[in-house]
Amino acid sequence: MSDKFSRRDFLKLAGVGAATTAIVTGCGPASRYVQREPYMKMPEYNYNGLSTYYATTCRECAAGCGLVARTMQGRALKIEGNASHPLNLGKTCARGQATLQGLYNPDRVTDPIKRARGSASAEKMTWDAATQVVADALKKYKPDQIAFLVGTAPDHLFDLIADLATATGMNAPVRFGALSMFDARATLSKAAENLLGKSGLPFFDVGGAQMVFSFGANFLETWLSPVSYTRGFSVLRDGQTKRRGNFVQFEARMSATGGKADEWIPLRPGTEALVALAIGRLASELRGGSLPRAFAGVDPADAAAKSGIKLETLKRLANIFAKSTGALAIPGGAALGQSNGLAVAEAVLALNAIAGNFGKPGGVFFSALAPTQTEYQRPASAKEMQDFVNQLTAGKFKALFVHGVNPVFELPASLNFKAALQGVEQVISFATFPDETALESDYVFPDHHGLESWGYQRVATGASQPVLSGSQPTVVPYYNTQATVDVLLAATKLAGGKFAQALPFKDEVEFLRSKVAPLMSEADGFFSALDINTFMAYFQQHGGWWKTSDGRGVPNVADILNRDLKGAEATFAGEGEFFFTPFVSPTLAEAGANKPWLQELPDAATTVMWNTWVEINPITAEELGVNDDDVVRIVSEVGTLEVTVYRYPAIRPDTIAMPFGQGHTAYGRYAANRGVNPADLLGANFNEAGDLAFAGMKVKIEKTGKVQPLSRLESIMGVYGVGMGKE
Amino acid sequence: MATETKPSETNSSAEHIGKWGMVIDQDLCTGCQACVAACAMENNISFVGEEDSGYGRSMHWIRIERFWEGVYPEIKMTPNQPMLCQQCLSAPCEPVCPAYATVHSLAEHINLQVYNRCVGTRYCGNNCPYQMRSFNWRDYERPKPLDNQLNPDVTVRQRGVMEKCTFCIQRINKAEDAAKAEGREIADGEFTTACAQVCPANAIVFGRTDNPESFVSQLARIHGHGVKHLEELGTLPNVTYFKGG
Repeated sequence: MSDKFSRRDFLKLAGVGAATTAIVTGCGPASRYVQREPYMKMPEYNYNGLSTYYATTCRECAAGCGLVARTMQGRALKIEGNASHPLNLGKTCARGQATLQGLYNPDRVTDPIKRARGSASAEKMTWDAATQVVADALKKYKPDQIAFLVGTAPDHLFDLIADLATATGMNAPVRFGALSMFDARATLSKAAENLLGKSGLPFFDVGGAQMVFSFGANFLETWLSPVSYTRGFSVLRDGQTKRRGNFVQFEARMSATGGKADEWIPLRPGTEALVALAIGRLASELRGGSLPRAFAGVDPADAAAKSGIKLETLKRLANIFAKSTGALAIPGGAALGQSNGLAVAEAVLALNAIAGNFGKPGGVFFSALAPTQTEYQRPASAKEMQDFVNQLTAGKFKALFVHGVNPVFELPASLNFKAALQGVEQVISFATFPDETALESDYVFPDHHGLESWGYQRVATGASQPVLSGSQPTVVPYYNTQATVDVLLAATKLAGGKFAQALPFKDEVEFLRSKVAPLMSEADGFFSALDINTFMAYFQQHGGWWKTSDGRGVPNVADILNRDLKGAEATFAGEGEFFFTPFVSPTLAEAGANKPWLQELPDAATTVMWNTWVEINPITAEELGVNDDDVVRIVSEVGTLEVTVYRYPAIRPDTIAMPFGQGHTAYGRYAANRGVNPADLLGANFNEAGDLAFAGMKVKIEKTGKVQPLSRLESIMGVYGVGMGKE
Repeated sequence: MATETKPSETNSSAEHIGKWGMVIDQDLCTGCQACVAACAMENNISFVGEEDSGYGRSMHWIRIERFWEGVYPEIKMTPNQPMLCQQCLSAPCEPVCPAYATVHSLAEHINLQVYNRCVGTRYCGNNCPYQMRSFNWRDYERPKPLDNQLNPDVTVRQRGVMEKCTFCIQRINKAEDAAKAEGREIADGEFTTACAQVCPANAIVFGRTDNPESFVSQLARIHGHGVKHLEELGTLPNVTYFKGG
């Protein structure tokens, strides 16, 4: 260790820890946490040099991967995947690895604070005063004047607020996350409702397939459950136990997922539905029999002309799809984030009917619902968020509580979330980090970091069995933070009346137990117990509870092809000459930018670190007269951004792309004032399912004459010149 | 490479087989960077910031290389190539160190970097054909309380010191100690390196190459078309790559 702590410092530190514990647990047992000890002092139950491991759940995204945290002397040292967790089987993504840099981030919110909105300076409060503020807000306003906006994780907090809302007549909590916006989950769910019999998240068994056609689905990056889908990809490619499966990606800009495809088909944005239907028609003709109604309305030659794919290529692909055993078509990502996104999702889902793979290995299922869940809980779509913002602007809500989401950064700037906050009397944030939304709040009552927290997360997709992933504190809270559930429980007690009756729990752990207890009577659990204490001990030890039986649903596809499917092209907002494709940075995503090692991970496709770039085809760049590192101005119908050019060889010349993840104005020293946020360019355009048409814009490029070099890994590579292909 | 050295004809075959080795299946690697992050977290690697990383001073012990083939629209991303210290049996970095900081471990058959011997001549970095050594150009700041996550099993390096992948030797030593205390051999798969442990695609497999029954040896046999990078230089790398596609 490089540190030099004085004994006095240690005593101070230990004192803070003890005080925090006392507050957090209320009258609960202090043994909820393992104390962080001075480097020189060993806890009695620990041996020098031996680690203690705690199973918990990753909160970097909402997928719900199981983690095991290696700790020593009360410090978390390393995050590993939980090898027995059915979703991730011991693996994590880069964001999961870097979660420690969130826990020990130098820019966390350390105490409850009060501030003038937008002001950098803030006044510290005590937790007693903070709890009183929450209680007063609950009492002062009518229940329907109180709104909760929460992120897609954790689920236990969402359940608590939902229960409180039901009992008191408050508005049901609104859930949102930028990842689900860019996943276009509402579109997927709506397409499933229209074609597969009910709404829900489809599960695509990539691992069992032999020939995957992906229309824009970035399933190796951030889409739905990336670690699980990456494992599926690994099984697809495995040539040892079966034949190596193949993979074709249709997208205008080669994503990191598309880079792994055997064939990358750069089609004109907006023609995905047309291409899918054309492949459907050609494949149906090859298979013989009568032409299904769904594909009858499309003319392959027309589709070829509009999409920019040669007709013989379409025919060849259709032949591959028709003749392959184990063909699978996946709709996702930017293909759905367009004005015709729903039509794309339906057309691509319908392709699976030709393969006849519904409910079969290598095919399309409904994701297993989490234990005790009866239907898929979809986060709010961008359209629903616009409605919410309109209500905020109209002054419908007097108090807004925000947890686990950063709407000022994540929502398109054109939705004007920041301005809408002016319509709210009191904004209370529970942010762990000083993000943009916390900066615009009156109070920040910081929640613990995920690794310091209790909770659970329902696994929405990715595992074949129903999984409830459990969280427990792996370390004692580092700062004077308090679990939001505990704050709400204490505040409802103070508020009294129906609030106190709604949540009759002593603390977070008791609430958690009440939610976990029904699992004891569920069948097929991989463990069970007769009493709750034993059950909870197993729940914590294993990092959750899951069934041993397959919970995936078989879609009802009786007449899936006996309907008209629309092949209309997407319409694009704006006047520019370039299609604009924002994509989520796989390593930063919406909340990774404050972790320095995530900043220093090179992007898989461009190897750029620490900044934002715009990808332009070298041919286009030459026509525009711009080169690498030149700064250009991107003009959309709602905004402009200045960003550095990266000449990207695998993008259509009529398309440009930008990663989402940078461009924070707050959020700590590593994130703030670095790069730009493409959400600032996005207009409030939606598809039929209410998802944002984020890939449905056309933009202009203007030269600025400025140069801003990008930090990129590739410049030091290729000393032998092999494969560098520097044009 | 300056050296003309070729693998000696007199080398016995045993000397051509290391003890620990790795196979990397480039067909499976998705370039997700999880291994890069896991390596940094395990091995106390400093981040250097935007400017220094732009000068090529980033400290990655493992990096994902990808190249382009062809031009649009017939363009292909070559299979991602995770590149790390190849733990050469005949390592070009070793003979050039004036301070004996870059030495070969006779026990583990891997290349060691002895940080407290290193005087920072950077000869080893210049001589590494894989460009897999990183030099601490500065004392990179790790603001409190980020230092809390430092792995106590791994030395923290300072300015002027060369560093590189160690095959997670702290994990090797731990497993060997535990096995020795229990009077047994290390079981295959009992432990693995941070990068192999995290890889969501199972593209990286680590294990004993001197044991023909280990998974890593079996994989090398099954595939049969493994590639060792720059093998023609006679470096005898301990990492085998399976090319994708």
